[in-house]
Amino acid sequence: MPHHLKTSRAYTTRLAAGFALALSAATLPNVPPAQAQTTLRVAMTAGDIPDVTGQPDQGFEGYRFVGYTLYDSLILWDLSRSDVEASLTPGLATKWTIDPKDSRRWIFELRKDVKFHDGSDFNADVVLWNISRLTDDKVPHFNAKQYAAMRTRTVNIDRAEKIDDHTIAIITKEPDSLFYIQMSFWMMISKAQFEKAGSYEKYAQMPSGTGPYRFAGMVPRERLELTRNETYWNPKRIPKHDRLVLQPMPEATTRAAALLSGQVDFIEAPSPDTIARLKSSGMQVLTLPYPHNWHYQFNFVDGPFKDKRVRQAANYAMDRGEMVEMLNGLAQEGYGTVPPSSPYFGKPVLYKLDPKKATALLKEAKCHPCEVTLAISTSGSGQMQPLPMNELVKAQLEAVGFKVKLEEMDWNALLDVTFKGREKFPAYHAVNVSRATQDPFSGIFRFVMRKQWAPAGGNWGHYENPEIEKLITEIYNTFDQAKRDAMITRVHEIMNDDAAMLFVTHDLNPRALSPKVKGFVQAQSWFQDLTPITVGTTN
Amino acid sequence: MTDFTTATRLLTAEEEAPATKVRGYWQNVGYRLRYDYVTLAFAVVIVLIIAMAVFAPWIAPKDPYKTSMAFRLRPVGFRDFYLGTDELGRDILSRLIHGGRMSLLMGVVPVVFATLIGGFLGVLAGFIGGKLNMAIMRTMDVFYAFPSILLAVAISGAMGGGMANGMVALTLVFIPPLCRISETATTQVRGLDFVEAARASGGSTASIIATHILGNVLGPIFIYASGLVSVSILIASGLSFLGLGVEPPHPDWGLMLSTLRQSIYVNPIVCALPGVMIFVTSLAFNMVSDGLRQAMDVRL
Amino acid sequence: MWYYIARRIAYAIPIAIGVTVFCFALVFLAPGNPVQMLLPADASQEVVDLIMKTYGFDRPLPVQYWTWLMRAVVGDLGVSIQSNRPVIDEVLRALANTVFLSFGAVMLAFSIAFVLGTLAAYYRGSATDRGVTALSIVGVSIPNYWLGIVLVIIFAVELNWLPATGMGPGGSETFDLFNWSHFKHVILPIITLCMVPVGMITRTTRSAVSEVLGNEFVNTLRAKGLDELAVIRHALKNAMPQILAVMGLQFGYLMGGSILVETIFNWPGTGFLLNKAILTRDIPVLQGTILILALVFVVTNLIVDLFQTAVDPRIKRS
Repeated sequence: MPHHLKTSRAYTTRLAAGFALALSAATLPNVPPAQAQTTLRVAMTAGDIPDVTGQPDQGFEGYRFVGYTLYDSLILWDLSRSDVEASLTPGLATKWTIDPKDSRRWIFELRKDVKFHDGSDFNADVVLWNISRLTDDKVPHFNAKQYAAMRTRTVNIDRAEKIDDHTIAIITKEPDSLFYIQMSFWMMISKAQFEKAGSYEKYAQMPSGTGPYRFAGMVPRERLELTRNETYWNPKRIPKHDRLVLQPMPEATTRAAALLSGQVDFIEAPSPDTIARLKSSGMQVLTLPYPHNWHYQFNFVDGPFKDKRVRQAANYAMDRGEMVEMLNGLAQEGYGTVPPSSPYFGKPVLYKLDPKKATALLKEAKCHPCEVTLAISTSGSGQMQPLPMNELVKAQLEAVGFKVKLEEMDWNALLDVTFKGREKFPAYHAVNVSRATQDPFSGIFRFVMRKQWAPAGGNWGHYENPEIEKLITEIYNTFDQAKRDAMITRVHEIMNDDAAMLFVTHDLNPRALSPKVKGFVQAQSWFQDLTPITVGTTN
Repeated sequence: MTDFTTATRLLTAEEEAPATKVRGYWQNVGYRLRYDYVTLAFAVVIVLIIAMAVFAPWIAPKDPYKTSMAFRLRPVGFRDFYLGTDELGRDILSRLIHGGRMSLLMGVVPVVFATLIGGFLGVLAGFIGGKLNMAIMRTMDVFYAFPSILLAVAISGAMGGGMANGMVALTLVFIPPLCRISETATTQVRGLDFVEAARASGGSTASIIATHILGNVLGPIFIYASGLVSVSILIASGLSFLGLGVEPPHPDWGLMLSTLRQSIYVNPIVCALPGVMIFVTSLAFNMVSDGLRQAMDVRL
Repeated sequence: MWYYIARRIAYAIPIAIGVTVFCFALVFLAPGNPVQMLLPADASQEVVDLIMKTYGFDRPLPVQYWTWLMRAVVGDLGVSIQSNRPVIDEVLRALANTVFLSFGAVMLAFSIAFVLGTLAAYYRGSATDRGVTALSIVGVSIPNYWLGIVLVIIFAVELNWLPATGMGPGGSETFDLFNWSHFKHVILPIITLCMVPVGMITRTTRSAVSEVLGNEFVNTLRAKGLDELAVIRHALKNAMPQILAVMGLQFGYLMGGSILVETIFNWPGTGFLLNKAILTRDIPVLQGTILILALVFVVTNLIVDLFQTAVDPRIKRS
């Protein structure tokens, strides 16, 4: 026996040497680890590093971690507090007003003395250049992909003009009192840097913005490294850590494992089932309401839900407390399209659990048992835990007299159903697509406007209400914020009166942080400010 | 216990004898198999797994689709959920039993189709030869340039997943090796005296293939195909694991493994169970195929 | 023999062309619109057309193939629909990581299988032999993605000894094999991945060595008083070409077959890239990755073949 071992050892040694050689060829030279620097390592849910060249992809998570870190928009979100829903705050524009003589002309006063990371100046020319980047397919810096993604926000823009070096005007096609909100999504990239790079492909390796972090390096699909921008124009938001490392980890289990084993300090969206384990290992689990809605949009043309009583019955059947419990407290009960903390919530009818009333309504509507088919997805961004959640909704609906068929499909297939609208899919009586509801249009109007009937927009089931139509027209022409907000609130209340959706729950935006991480203030928003975070070296 | 080596020695002895008498050969195979207890034991395992899948509705203690939000992710032995529950509160034991249907179907069907198609193409190429042989075999070579999992993933990934697409992908993956084997066997047999004789006496192509070629080609193809079942089950479960095979809510071992993985922190043991089923099934098919190979193959 | 080598290489060329056609044809297999993932749910036809044009999907297919091929020949595999990054960069970066993983797994497999296979062959028919044979069948029967999960449960979740995912604290760019905190990321993936090659190489070693040991000349050697160690060394030397050939093939299979294991361990290799590309329907990346992997496989097979020709006297003679 020993003989064989000897022989094999000789072989193994020789081959191990070869192995080591092959390795040094296969890997890149080592970068010495940074000394005495603090690094915040974040695990994102995205499958890849979001686009760094301006408008990020990967949904709002891209904006959260790549958009508002590298770049600024003219208007920013105030993410400094937890107690109220995040509102807009001056960014690269210090002030924005509607021209008193022209309700289509928006004037933006730009912040002075702001420099891009590459040292070039931020001014009116750069803003106009950035506007053409996403609106004019004739210019060389036009970005088709980002244009497509931004189309709904840019569609109302007629043209933009320079007033002076630090003032610009944007003229819309139709009066739109909410237009300024769109500018909070418009990232200002460096014209000088882009011209130096020559193409978006090259620019992606050297992006330059005005944001609180500078680009430090990227390994595609693995990590994005940003460093502190010492000269950020807002001294309050100069990051309190040296480096920010972002890693894509689409699987919840992987993120939890990475946090538990100390590979990262901050993870997005831990799954409810991992919470107990994370807490028992000393991790901080944070939750906070934010404008997210997990609901069903009804089909108002085909099937039982065209009857308001059936819609109300479904809403009365929901035991939202049980849902929250199943999600281990990572959600809050949903009674409207925006959460109660939203400024537009108002005093709507609340459909609290009332199974008897639900059954009575179904009988009154002569739909008992009431057969309905719900289109749902097996996964998807913002969908939370779609399968267990839909199963629970199904059980609750069936308890009051519905007979539910869940039509499970892939996330993209469901998006397709949602996009094409109820006409193409008359067999579906409701669709379960969760939504971001951070502004009145995306949170409220698009679900109920006549103009938004799918495939034109987000009104999947072709809802129509003359009173809402009238209000929305007025809102778009009202430039007095208080008056406008009152009307927006009214639209929200009417939606509830009409039981325009099956309201179920709002996500609580869970994230888990290592005990080393201090100073994070979670905002009631899709976006978060990481700059105040300090990272300790020990626990 | 007859071990593999003894079987091999028997085979080596067999090789000396002219293998012309078909009946004698099969008798020999049967004789060898009868005393190969390992193979027999695993054959019993296969029979049990197949029976389990076929009679799933009668064997499974519960409805595999019945969800229960109150009993999510329960551990092994919770009440009458003998193997616990999954993320939707469904009974794992019942789902494992029913899961055999999907997994076996996805494992066996592609092999059957690939055997028929690949075998046919191979016999055609081998028997007719010439340009047709070139055309068929060179096309097969292209597919040979892909490792099997990669090819399966590429095809079903591009087609967008789903059980049917997964089976088509697997069938395409297995056609080339089966085609090559049947082509080789056919080419060898074609040159033999008795086929030449049949040709000379004016037998039609079809009848020659039917009577002489198939009898000699089927053996190697069958041995190879039986070995593929295990590979096929592994790849099929892998596709489902990647979300490219069976779609939820249907129970399938690969898919169950992939969804239960999400609750690895809650219920690690339950999470590992579907993999055990895949492993046992694949092992059983491999062992039996190995036994068959040794019993039937004239060379080892 | 030179003639044989030239013929063998020439023979690989049409295969490579076939491979490119297949990779290109993957676009046809894909249902729906190849740029769907790029578009917001409410994109208008105008936007769809513009994007299709930007990525060249509006031209006739043969033209698309030719353009694609001509670019591919000079190493331009297009740009990822998802990330806008050149596909070739992404694939090559991932390829290095997969080569590393596959090579490590084959080497580990070789070390294990070499010992096991030789033992089994030497003690043919014994309990050792049966055990080894059974083990090799277990190796090829075990679903490695499951084994990976089980190893993660045991060593990462329960014992917390080894990391569950990734390629070291700084990702692949700063990976340092000789640093424990980096190296420990490699352990579980390599063990998981080496199962099939262990099975295959053990089988080959066993049969190759026992074939040599069964030869007449071995008995002659023994009769001449050669000690057992020398006999085994001799047998191994004769069996080595066959074993190395199987190793080469296994390496090729792992290169293409590591998708599941890489997905489980978040290993930034080609399999991981492929899985991402499938999930996001990023057809250029899918095409590019498969093309490169297939070409690597073709080349590996070619090298194995040529190597065998060079060392195996039987092939040389024929």
